[in-house]
Amino acid sequence: MVIYLKAGSELRLKLNPDVDFYTRRVETEEGKTLREILKDIRLAPAFVAFAYSEGRIFSLDRAPRDGQSITLQPPVSGG
Amino acid sequence: MGNGLAGTTLRINLKTSVVRRLPTDEALFRRWHGGRGITAKLIYDEVPREADPLGPENIFIMNAGVMSGAFIPAGSKVSFGSVSPLTNGHGDSNMGGHLGPALKFAGYDLVVFENIAPRPVYLVIDDERVELRDASKFWGMKSLECEKALKDELGEDFEVATIGPAGENGVLFSCITHDFGRQAGRTGQGAVMGSKRLKAICVRGSKSLRVHDLPELRKQVTEIMLRTRKHPNMEPWQKYGTAFFIRWSNDNAVLPTYNFQTTHYEDTDKIDGDQLVTKLLVTHKACFGCWMNCGKYTKAVVPGKPAVYLEGPEYETGALCGANLGMKDIHHVAYINWLLDNLGMDSMSGGGVVAFGMECYERGLITEADLEGHALRWGEVDDVEHFLDMIAHRRGIGDWFAGGTKRAAQKIGKGSEKFAMQVKGQEMSGYDGRWAPGMLLSYMTADIGAHHNRSWTITVDMAEGRERIAGRAKIVIYLQHIRPLFDTWCICRLFWGELDITPEEIVESLNHITGWGVGVDECLRTSEMIWNLNRCHYLERNRANGRTFDYPPARSWEDKIPSGPGKGKGLTREQIEEMLDDYYDERGWDRRGNPTRALLEDLGLGDAADNLEKIGLLGEPLPGGIPKVRGEKYKPKAF
Repeated sequence: MVIYLKAGSELRLKLNPDVDFYTRRVETEEGKTLREILKDIRLAPAFVAFAYSEGRIFSLDRAPRDGQSITLQPPVSGG
Repeated sequence: MGNGLAGTTLRINLKTSVVRRLPTDEALFRRWHGGRGITAKLIYDEVPREADPLGPENIFIMNAGVMSGAFIPAGSKVSFGSVSPLTNGHGDSNMGGHLGPALKFAGYDLVVFENIAPRPVYLVIDDERVELRDASKFWGMKSLECEKALKDELGEDFEVATIGPAGENGVLFSCITHDFGRQAGRTGQGAVMGSKRLKAICVRGSKSLRVHDLPELRKQVTEIMLRTRKHPNMEPWQKYGTAFFIRWSNDNAVLPTYNFQTTHYEDTDKIDGDQLVTKLLVTHKACFGCWMNCGKYTKAVVPGKPAVYLEGPEYETGALCGANLGMKDIHHVAYINWLLDNLGMDSMSGGGVVAFGMECYERGLITEADLEGHALRWGEVDDVEHFLDMIAHRRGIGDWFAGGTKRAAQKIGKGSEKFAMQVKGQEMSGYDGRWAPGMLLSYMTADIGAHHNRSWTITVDMAEGRERIAGRAKIVIYLQHIRPLFDTWCICRLFWGELDITPEEIVESLNHITGWGVGVDECLRTSEMIWNLNRCHYLERNRANGRTFDYPPARSWEDKIPSGPGKGKGLTREQIEEMLDDYYDERGWDRRGNPTRALLEDLGLGDAADNLEKIGLLGEPLPGGIPKVRGEKYKPKAF
């Protein structure tokens, strides 16, 4: 199956987007958690503050579904 | 054609009530860029080195730089500055909201308050009308209540900044509050305002601000607006703000917990950002000219207490008043946030000071007898409320803690200095640096004491190896130059830094506004000049080698992290010394931490070199000369 990961800022550089400026297409196996998928593409989950999809938080320990688009939020310092 | 400046500077003698209107010195803004840069220059030139920061010779400065109010994204900041009573060096702090733009729209770039008013006053600026008014009826009011009372009296369209009882009573980490939840929190600017008996500043402006090239600015801002609206990180930002990073900090062993004893908090899920959004959130809130609306207006309900409304807690307050105090309920964290806001204390230093008090209590260094019969236990909101009231009104040992953790530790003694988590008198931000060496070095060397906004390196530490200290100095210096530029320009870093807007684009906006025609490199050089002037100022006021002041408390090297994913991790004293050596070498300072003449002259600060030489604190010439590039070479897109 295929999912689409999006990220901006410094995290974008670690994601290596290939679809557009922010988005990377990732082929993966059904049932794998987002955390496992990130490890597969050599993006350490520690660099992701949280993931976000369809208007809500998406746990790194959940398995995405085919075609799902997930935004990765980079950690930042407070204001 | 304009230049982003409103045109008029106010000099207000609070003792005599004389208000002088002067043409704004454009050359001053051109060289120092506004914000903290203007503060650095003016306090260096005008405040005698021996002057008491809370005395009549200190000046108190408010300015909105050259970008605030120019209808650029997040061009909302106003900067306050003076010699800090907390650090006894350069102090500046800024806040968003609407006050900075209002000041520009009223026709003023810079307001300098001199001397001390004979009785409490507040300043009203209403376009051409500038007057000091009797503040007797507002003196003693809490910050948020005073803001409402002034708006009721003057009109809702006035932008109001206030201090609370803490500022009136000279609590050294007092803040200035505006817009019912925005604070200029750091370096004790509220205490300086209070020392001048200036309760509030109220501004209404109705004029236009003229910029150098409006069509180009409009074109650029429109493009940025359209681009950032589609940015994938925008929606999560808008929805959650910064509070969601508490869990991440915990997972990555940087969350200060129980006064920085450990970095792992077992009850993180009770105080994390999702708790804020699901339990507290009333509505989202934005500053002037910003469509990120990262501010969260909330309602906290603690049984037995009145329901309170506040903005926050954002990350720093959530960490320092949450895990660091052992709080187990997001309502309690928010309530403490509100207490600090309303009393007029910086919620970062406030969290640090209370945590220090809790550890002193846990160790038996202070007792109920010192606390008017109350306890000071981890996780107990009633204990915190009573202790904060003692501090704000300087009752009993509250007077010791009103000076911050450093001064309180000096009074308490018995080894408590080891866990007074501050540098140069200012409490650490919401990150433990024991397994993030760059972050610890950032705290150690920041010009205003331990503060994350000058340099934040956690992800760099993670990427380059958390045990590694080599190379940290370069990146810290680089960040100490680029990040404070936002505070000189008086714009918000979060919008620009996190949404892939490049430094080149920001400087392009700056040029459209001012017509200065500068490049990023020149701006970075200005920032380096400000940094070094502040270092000279600190040395001149505190009369010792700079290295003396750059050490963190001993917990930073004596105690390893005792629990969680960072268990057993920590730095040694030797590593800290090595980082300082590297840092000084990279900066062009000598190993005593003193700037050299070659560096200062290269930055156009020859007078500061002369001043250091007169007191024997000028750095020794470096054998190989000063580095050509100080810190890491500029890398586009990194903040």
